[in-house]
Amino acid sequence: MARILVIEDDPVTAAQIVAGLHGSDHDVVHLGDGNEALERATREPFDAVTLDRMLPGLDGLTLVSRLRERRISIPVLMISALSDVDERIAGLRAGGDDYLTKPFAPEEMAMRIEVLLRRRDEPGAAAILRVGMIEIDLIRRQVRVDGDPVRLLHMEFRLLEFLARHPGDTMSRRVIFEQVWGYYFDPGANLINVHIARLRKKLDRAGRASPIVTVKGEGYRLDAV
Amino acid sequence: MPSDRLRLRDIRNTSAFRLTVMFGLVFAVGVIALLALIYVLSAHELTVRTDRILRRETAALQNTAPDALPRRIEAAIVHNTSGVSFFGLQSRNGVRLAGNLIVADDFPVGHPRSTILNARDPTPIRVLATSVAHGAVILVGRDITPILDLRRRVLIVLIWSGLAIAVFVLAASVALSLAPLRRVRDLQRASREIAAGRLDVRMPLLGRGDELDLFAATVNTMIEEVGRVVAQVKEVTDAVAHDLRTPLTRVRAQLHQMQHLADIDPRFAEMAARGIADLDVVLDRFMALLRIAELEASQRRAGFARIALEPLLTGVCDLYEPLAEDRAIALTTETADGLFVDADRQLLFEALSNLVDNAIKFSRPGGHVSIGAARAAGMIAIEVRDDGPGLPEDDRRAVLRRFYRGTDTGGIPGSGLGLSVVAAIVHLHGFRLELDDADPGLVVRIIGEEIVAIPE
Repeated sequence: MARILVIEDDPVTAAQIVAGLHGSDHDVVHLGDGNEALERATREPFDAVTLDRMLPGLDGLTLVSRLRERRISIPVLMISALSDVDERIAGLRAGGDDYLTKPFAPEEMAMRIEVLLRRRDEPGAAAILRVGMIEIDLIRRQVRVDGDPVRLLHMEFRLLEFLARHPGDTMSRRVIFEQVWGYYFDPGANLINVHIARLRKKLDRAGRASPIVTVKGEGYRLDAV
Repeated sequence: MPSDRLRLRDIRNTSAFRLTVMFGLVFAVGVIALLALIYVLSAHELTVRTDRILRRETAALQNTAPDALPRRIEAAIVHNTSGVSFFGLQSRNGVRLAGNLIVADDFPVGHPRSTILNARDPTPIRVLATSVAHGAVILVGRDITPILDLRRRVLIVLIWSGLAIAVFVLAASVALSLAPLRRVRDLQRASREIAAGRLDVRMPLLGRGDELDLFAATVNTMIEEVGRVVAQVKEVTDAVAHDLRTPLTRVRAQLHQMQHLADIDPRFAEMAARGIADLDVVLDRFMALLRIAELEASQRRAGFARIALEPLLTGVCDLYEPLAEDRAIALTTETADGLFVDADRQLLFEALSNLVDNAIKFSRPGGHVSIGAARAAGMIAIEVRDDGPGLPEDDRRAVLRRFYRGTDTGGIPGSGLGLSVVAAIVHLHGFRLELDDADPGLVVRIIGEEIVAIPE
């Protein structure tokens, strides 16, 4: 369970975020004013922040840059109605760790918070990721399944690495595309499906459940099998 | 598309040039006619004066007694210090009796005629032959070299004047055509931008109130009205997309929560899943609509940088290669090294992904899709080519419109918004989008200016 600060002035959106985070068993503090939120985030320990871009008192961009100026490295998920690529770049440049546009599905918001929390909790120097029968050597860029070496193409390796960094978490196709390929548009569900299918073919072992699980209508999850 | 450089052919075709040439020609004909009249009248006057002198001198000789005539003629020759007059006396059959002038026996008598002095001396002279009572013929001649010289000079002046007028008329025609032609070019340039969808552009007005100003003002009014209507339609579409997106997302969230209730009937969970899937389709379309609206409204170029095309195109190819392979389609890329454009990497990648996605979608199993970039006429053309069924010529412009789907999509799913997104991205970059027949298949080109690589 993590302690999350939700900074959002719109009550409906705030309720949606709070409900989504409660659903993931997080402790949530909600504030609607930018100045007050900056003060609380400076004073109290939080594990992550969801931050609206347009706030009364202090706007989201200024707030996150003030946090970074004060050397507070708490993960920040920026949430905004401004979905233009330039706005996204501005949000990330100001110090945001991820950017989500309104309206959003609460499960996607919760998923992005999980990604941020996991990133923060990762041991920085971990050279090998293990999820069940899968072992990923990040230095040598080698993958073994059940001890057998598996040859993966560059993007297949990155896709597996991303899923392996969040084992057990369902990742939407959109989040996968953003985090693995680094592009912020919808490439269509089918494209990610075929990449996953290709990776799955290389990871699956006879007589065992597939480590990559399809969660219908939501995305994909890497399970320890 | 006409080039912006002024060529002689463009000037020659202008109304101003043609009118000036026409008026110039009328003016030139008038001037030449006037000069010709002056020439004819002055030549005639000089001839008449010469003839009058010839008659006067002949009359003086006629009054002389026949015996004294040879002496009188010799005396006249002696007294002719200027050397322009000639005198002679000859028999009717042409035998010289006295003087320094002789003509053939058939030379007309009584009327002055022009001839030459003799075979050895071709000085032009005017001669009056007059019969006298004792059967001889008095000849009085006058050198008309100055008259002919004057006539020649007048003729030369006439020709040079004609040539000078012609050159002046041409120069004036060109000079008078340039300003209107430049204005027409400005109007043409503005109209091309307007035709390309930039409804914020207006025809330039000089404020002179001339015909072109009146025409441009009328067109501007028309564009303003078209722009207003288009903006209204867009606003309505965007407002619908924006306003419906929020409640639909909430409905989706509620369905999602319902689907995950611990005690939900599996049939309801299945219905909720189907509802979520349908809502996702609607939300995706709204998102695409809003994306187009954002791109069209965006003037910001914060993400623009010098982009190397080779890695970008390879990235697109790598992204779509599994999808192509899944459908038994060969996807290849061929791009020369060192090609750069000024672009937003995210947006250009999105546009190319859309085009490759379409090409794969519309290709048959066993088909081939290629993506490449090359220099073409000082520009760079990024090309996505397939060997599918292609697109009828009438559809090629229409498919760039929102929600338009080709006449023969063969049941292939799609929103009709993908190419609109591409068109909006291309427009934002100031590039050009071309759809062409690949025979067989379709080739889509994004044409933009090349950025010269900075040496390492």
